[in-house]
Amino acid sequence: MTTLSLPTKSPAYTLEEGLREPADPPTIRRGASGEWAREELLLRKLGPKGWGRVYQFRNYYESGWGEKGRVLSPRALDAFFRFLEEATFPADRTSPSVFLTDRGGIELCWEDCNGKSVQVEFTGTGAEFYRAATDEEGAVAIDGLAQLSRRLAA
Amino acid sequence: MPLAQTEDIVRAVCTDKWDGQRLSPSLFVGENVSVSRLAVVPLADHWDLFRQHVEKPPERWLELIAEINVGRLQAIGRSQNPAVALTVEPKPVDWNPAHAEIPQKITRGLAGKILPELALHHPPPRDQE
Repeated sequence: MTTLSLPTKSPAYTLEEGLREPADPPTIRRGASGEWAREELLLRKLGPKGWGRVYQFRNYYESGWGEKGRVLSPRALDAFFRFLEEATFPADRTSPSVFLTDRGGIELCWEDCNGKSVQVEFTGTGAEFYRAATDEEGAVAIDGLAQLSRRLAA
Repeated sequence: MPLAQTEDIVRAVCTDKWDGQRLSPSLFVGENVSVSRLAVVPLADHWDLFRQHVEKPPERWLELIAEINVGRLQAIGRSQNPAVALTVEPKPVDWNPAHAEIPQKITRGLAGKILPELALHHPPPRDQE
């Protein structure tokens, strides 16, 4: 019986000494803990659709989007999250909607427990709001967001 | 010269202003809101026009076209307290001869009253365009 064997060859390459060291065990790379908490907050308060829209607005809307749209303002986003931390929405209603405004703000709309529209737009300086139940319209600075959140929930 | 009360105007609604359930009030908030005249370009032709000039895939798609009559818009303005005298001024641009603007400042509350009055047109199937 004939046995075939391949000719012995020297390897085409050799690893450098440093690369032969055992690699570190694989690890999961996590974002900053604050960022993770924000993601969780979005999911909890706005659901998967709201989370997905905010993700899209942050990552895919570059300056000049649409006709003359501005990129989402980081300060507006901070204001939005600050409000969201305190916000409560009627459980028996559709989850709030999230929109990107042309001036780089982020807008949140929902209905109160009587089905009346509530809307808040977060900007770099705070928020503008409208409450249909009382036909009340106004603006608050960043430090008034928590109070506004409680007021609109009442 | 402002548009007649009998004219109908439309506004493109893209992904950033529509989430499948609600319209963004900011669609009509502010000054110089852009609209387009059906008397100049028919609705069926607005789909292509808006797709070519306001869509920016993959993030921004044309979802709807919102329509309102000029007279109806003005009546909503008059019903505000204090009343707002809304007008629509023709402002043709290179890509859209039907372009017009509402020059007055529309507040968030007023926009909230305009939205329920809009007739929403969904895109026709591709083979019907």
